[in-house]
Amino acid sequence: MSEADVRALLDGLEERALIEYVTTQRWFGSKAREVTHATVVDAAFVRTVEPLLATVLVELRFQPGTHESYQLLLGLRRAAEGWGEGVIAQLGEWTVYDAPADPTLARELVHSIRSGRHRAAGEGTFEFHTVEGSADLGRELREARPIPTEQSNTSLVFDEELILKAFRRLEPGINPELELLRFLTARGFPNIAALGGWYAYRGRPMDATLGVLQRFVPGAQDGWELALEELAQAPDRFVGRLRRLGEVTGAMHTALASDGSDPNFSPEDPSTEALGLLTATIDEEIEQIWVRLPDHPALAPIAGRGEEVRDRLRLLSHVGTAGRVIRNHGDYHLGQTLWAAGDWVILDFEGEPARSISERRRKRSPLRDVAGMLRSFAYAASAARILRGVEPPEGWEERAREEFVGGYLDTVDSALVPSGRAAVERLLAVFELEKAVYELRYELNSRPDWVEIPVAGIERLLGRPLE
Amino acid sequence: MSEPGHWFERDPLWFKRAIFYEIHIRGFYDGNDDGSGDFRGLMEKLDYLQWLGIDCIWLLPMYASPLRDGGYDIADFFSIHPDYGTVEDFRAYVEAAHQRGMRVIADLVMNHTSSDHPWFREARSSRDSPKRDWYVWSDTDDTWPEARVIFVDTEPSNWTWDPAAGQYFWHRFFSHQPDLNYDNPEVQEAMLNVLRFWLDLGIDGFRLDAVPYLYERDGTNGENLPETHEYLRRVRAEVDANYADRVLLAEANQWPEDVVEYFGAGDECHMAFHFPVMPRMFMAMRREDALPMLEILERTPAIPEAAQWGLFLRNHDELTLEMVTDEERDYMYAEYAKDPRMKINVGIRRRLAPLLDNARDDAELMHAILFSLPGSPVLYYGDEIGMGDNVYLGDRDGVRTPMQWTGDRNGGFSRADFARLYLPPLMDPVYGFQAINVEAQLRTPYSFLRWLHRFIALRKGHPVFGLGTYEPLRPGNTRIFAHVRRYDEDVILCVHNLARSAQAVELDLSAFEGLVPEEMLGRSRFPRIGKLPYLLTLAPRGFFWFQLRADE
Repeated sequence: MSEADVRALLDGLEERALIEYVTTQRWFGSKAREVTHATVVDAAFVRTVEPLLATVLVELRFQPGTHESYQLLLGLRRAAEGWGEGVIAQLGEWTVYDAPADPTLARELVHSIRSGRHRAAGEGTFEFHTVEGSADLGRELREARPIPTEQSNTSLVFDEELILKAFRRLEPGINPELELLRFLTARGFPNIAALGGWYAYRGRPMDATLGVLQRFVPGAQDGWELALEELAQAPDRFVGRLRRLGEVTGAMHTALASDGSDPNFSPEDPSTEALGLLTATIDEEIEQIWVRLPDHPALAPIAGRGEEVRDRLRLLSHVGTAGRVIRNHGDYHLGQTLWAAGDWVILDFEGEPARSISERRRKRSPLRDVAGMLRSFAYAASAARILRGVEPPEGWEERAREEFVGGYLDTVDSALVPSGRAAVERLLAVFELEKAVYELRYELNSRPDWVEIPVAGIERLLGRPLE
Repeated sequence: MSEPGHWFERDPLWFKRAIFYEIHIRGFYDGNDDGSGDFRGLMEKLDYLQWLGIDCIWLLPMYASPLRDGGYDIADFFSIHPDYGTVEDFRAYVEAAHQRGMRVIADLVMNHTSSDHPWFREARSSRDSPKRDWYVWSDTDDTWPEARVIFVDTEPSNWTWDPAAGQYFWHRFFSHQPDLNYDNPEVQEAMLNVLRFWLDLGIDGFRLDAVPYLYERDGTNGENLPETHEYLRRVRAEVDANYADRVLLAEANQWPEDVVEYFGAGDECHMAFHFPVMPRMFMAMRREDALPMLEILERTPAIPEAAQWGLFLRNHDELTLEMVTDEERDYMYAEYAKDPRMKINVGIRRRLAPLLDNARDDAELMHAILFSLPGSPVLYYGDEIGMGDNVYLGDRDGVRTPMQWTGDRNGGFSRADFARLYLPPLMDPVYGFQAINVEAQLRTPYSFLRWLHRFIALRKGHPVFGLGTYEPLRPGNTRIFAHVRRYDEDVILCVHNLARSAQAVELDLSAFEGLVPEEMLGRSRFPRIGKLPYLLTLAPRGFFWFQLRADE
């Protein structure tokens, strides 16, 4: 089938069917907004024998005058075959469906990455790339298993050896996940799932990263699950693992700051107003949330205390020298870690999906990651209570923090963080407050039962004496 | 050099929704401690501009120049002034801005060069020089008397005798800025090469300085000639054919009916500044009367769908009074230039905050009006913190003093010795850097900077301000400036009180009966619109922006 044929075929996709399909997917991020239009921006066939596989860029338009772009992976089989999974539409003699549901097509994406092939589309090219030194990826693939818990992307595991993550919501520019994995893989950083390849779209509509292929870490346990499990059975055993997590985190930051010649990664001194910009941003976030804080018993400990929180932020923000700013993980918490073969593996370098790529790529203090993980310990302690009815032992969270921060500070390049433990704690508190406020907004919108967790975090930051 | 990265979605109309920010490179931030701003310094301040919500940075001239006119006297179109850095620094800056989601345009002077430009040196050297015809020469100084002298304070004539050349040369601006001869096809092509050079480096467009004056013709005033428009169409065609999503912004200080010609049929400039509306905003504030603004907006013709006005309160030049009547000019001088030193050419050389006597309410109201009008706002560096000016500095340097970053030495602008600074920073007790600086305003939740940051975010959340209609309301109370903006189903009602006293106003909103106004800053709901006139009361210099929503 030629390029023109693809376009002709896809042009036949009814807008309504397209909108219906996209807006009901888990990875569609703007469920609260009304989609007025959906258009195919560009498309190419990646597999040209049946069943066909097309990579597609679509644009969804919203009221009033804004839009989002998404990647679709479409499979096409003859209607006569009676394919029934993930069906989007019947187009003449073809059944159009969500390709990841079809192992043949899922494998095709990996084949394309392995062979580094490019597919010309109408206004650009779909490019597939292999990472140098990944020739051993060339095995015959058998199974392709989707990961059902995935939220904003689509992830597929092949034979417990490879994992492919396809990004759904697209933004112009390189995705930090690809950028950081490529950087860390090239430098042999051991505590990640090494990058094997990726694919991307380059063209007039935009340049965008579409997916990354990584080695799958077999027999691993999710850090968050492990925390909940051990909180119930052996809380101190988990605390015992956290020194190592701190060390791995420190080593990760040191590695990310190790190349002064690459402008995308070179560590920088924060500008004079860097801290001012950070606190102004958090301050406005606090103001907005408290103005509209609903009446909810779980919010009682912080209700009416917005000004107090802002005052606290102002006091904390007198940090002195703030270390350096570097590229960092950006969305660091226990759910982004794996415990495997006696060590930690760090995943998911995409950053917070709600923020723009330009924001996610910004260099920041590495302590922002550390603060994210500290908040995660608070979440684990509360989740053990909420989900499992397990009361964590007295002082568990404090000990977890101490272990993690201790391991971190022993390992990380000390030039990257403020000098002196007091200054570190102060800047950590700023980032913890930022994170807790972000959590508060998130939980208010999507999980009111969990609101008590950020509330407790904020209350504690208010109560903690200033050093 | 690496290829420029591609950090934006295809968006040919980005400039219609953009907030622009004008930077005087020399005055923004000194990255190498030599007393003068530079690209390395600009780079360090990108995060600040990204935080502020800026979409596009407009750089004042950055080219090699003897700087007898702030760099508008270009001595080499293909190099960066050594004080600012190198072409490679510029490229890196554009790339870094793009990575942060911001675009960069730069001033380009097509009309003339510096008399130091090698082209002019060659041209004046001999009547037989191949460059002779690149400029405009005459044996007499009385040709084209209809063309006005623009810099009336310094230039007696548009002709200046050049002893080396043995002829008079033509210049619409300073006598060290000879006009290029656009009747010469070589000049036309040379200027296209200049454009291509910077576009290839990734620049997102140009502010075309002094475009009305490219050609000269007998019996005309030499402004807005058909030949000039024809050349601009050629420039636009070149850009459209080879460079996506770029913008040409015309500086044509003319009446609206003449300026719209610079949009052509959507085949000349993408944007043009709306000069005449600006002095009328100041006039309206002083007179507490919306009429001057209503009149000029009424007089403004429709523009092509893909075109946009550039709107501003102040810029690097004087508050120009060329596009007002004599009577209005006298009024403006009397009200805003009480010290004769504040006058320059046909205008007033002051910054926004001093013009408004440092009144916070007035500054907010002026920005509200600016942001509510159809067009893209262009902010001038320093005005976001309410910087002042220094009327004792020469020419327009008084409004080009160093950006005030902190209360530290040199206002945090430079670590050089004070004596080495290109201009002294402001140090007076009201506008000096100890009182007015970015650092302090960032830390102060209700500072003007923080207010403007929130206000920019508000405007950017509603594409209607860049894309929508402008529908004036004419309430009986003329102290109220009110209009509706509409784009698809997004309907915004903007009501501004120009008076220094509280006002009540009845608005005819019958067209929106049944909708509920929601105030946009605090999201409070106001009573539903009915059949009767809608009554609003406004605080002195107060304003409301409402989104008119269907009641859920």
